[in-house]
Amino acid sequence: MPSPSRHDIAISGVGVTSAIGQGKAEFLSALLEARHRFRTMRRPGRQQPVPVSTARAQPPQQAPGFLGAEIESLSMPSSIAPGLLRNASFSAQVAVATLHEAWVDAALHEVEPTRIGLVVGGSNVQQRELIQAHDAYRGREQFLRPSYGMSFMDSDLCGLCTHAFGIRGLAYTVGGASASGQVAMVEAIHAVQSGRVDVCIAIGALMDLSHWECRGLRSLGAMGSDRFAHDPASACRPFDRDRDGFIFGESCGAVVIEKLQTAHRTGRKPYARVSGWAMGVDANRNPNPSVEGEVAVIKAALECADLTAEDIDYVNPHGTGSAIGDLTELASLIQCGLGRARINATKSIVGHGLSAAGAVETIAVVLQMQAGRLHPTRNLDDAIDDSFNWVGSKAVAHTMNNALNLSMGFGGVNTAVCLQTLS
Amino acid sequence: MSKESILEIIVRHVSEVIPALASHPFQPSDSLKALGANSIDRADIIMMTLESLALDIPLIEMAKAQSIGELAGIIHAKS
Repeated sequence: MPSPSRHDIAISGVGVTSAIGQGKAEFLSALLEARHRFRTMRRPGRQQPVPVSTARAQPPQQAPGFLGAEIESLSMPSSIAPGLLRNASFSAQVAVATLHEAWVDAALHEVEPTRIGLVVGGSNVQQRELIQAHDAYRGREQFLRPSYGMSFMDSDLCGLCTHAFGIRGLAYTVGGASASGQVAMVEAIHAVQSGRVDVCIAIGALMDLSHWECRGLRSLGAMGSDRFAHDPASACRPFDRDRDGFIFGESCGAVVIEKLQTAHRTGRKPYARVSGWAMGVDANRNPNPSVEGEVAVIKAALECADLTAEDIDYVNPHGTGSAIGDLTELASLIQCGLGRARINATKSIVGHGLSAAGAVETIAVVLQMQAGRLHPTRNLDDAIDDSFNWVGSKAVAHTMNNALNLSMGFGGVNTAVCLQTLS
Repeated sequence: MSKESILEIIVRHVSEVIPALASHPFQPSDSLKALGANSIDRADIIMMTLESLALDIPLIEMAKAQSIGELAGIIHAKS
């Protein structure tokens, strides 16, 4: 039995909104049953507009669009004044709804507002709505809504959330591409450790892609799927030989970070101790990952947690379904001696939330630890390395003491977080 | 367009921005501020009105209006 981490940081509350469900209970049951919502995306602005001349000649269904998983309907708590939301983007509204769950979960109404902080992970998260505003006002720019001048900034998510919940400690955004959610968690941990606040919420914001970002990510070879254009259910397949890129999934996660000694306010055991964490960069502007960088953060997080690789009984990998990313990650895990821990891929069910992924997957980890069950990995028909201890098409029972959660982002960003069950 | 018609358009946009006012008995003497519109709401309401009327007038011209009636008057004078 490993000695308890020297760190006394805990996760006292969570909130999650995703295409597979809103709220932790719905999210966990969808994960365990591998209920996905992948299809050709329909949210306005997600597909390249079909020119009128082409539309006549060729109905849109002849040309499948970008695939992904979209939130069917967002349930907004009645305590949030509708007026506050009128000029809030979809990303901002989802952040408020998700934070509400975490807020209630961690009983944050009992905490002095000046002692609460908020770190929002993600940059340029409102692209689809901005493009829609540009399209609506092109040629008559003088009528652009004045509130655009306020809401176009990602920090409007901070403004809206702090306004809605009366937060008066600190609030800012951090960007780390697809590692943003975990970068936000690391920032929140530092804010609590340094004593700047007693409680800090880390949000992995919903990255609201427009068809322009989808196109860029597809052209770059990061986003799938040419191979499964007509079979959305099969397109998202991390670690499978037939993968051809990540499949987008709208999501947002809120994680409440505080010291163990204050977390008892909730009247129940915190979800987990954050026993170790690490962030590093590769001195590489490009999207390609590196074994060296990933190994460095895994080792640093384990060391921070006073753990060895043998102590880890579950790895929640970044696992996007990208050609090189998945291979690099498995090579890194093997090099760190983590080839025997149980492993699954949350993105195979949720999709890739980009800025949200790190926070959403940390929530997936702690909910699975609490349930003592691991969710299936969808579409893992022919694993690129079958020596790993994969959770395949069925959920499994598994007792976990220590889990490792990884995130990587374009521009050489690597993060790792160790989560420990509290006895 | 008559001043009354402009006032109707303003009222429509006020209700759009502040849905709670949908059944409010609007009077020309009502001030946007007193109706609960903050400075961002007020700017959006005025811009939505100008957009509906396709009138390109600098927002600053509307700043001195103390009520929705005065606002309708200023817009009417510029249209």
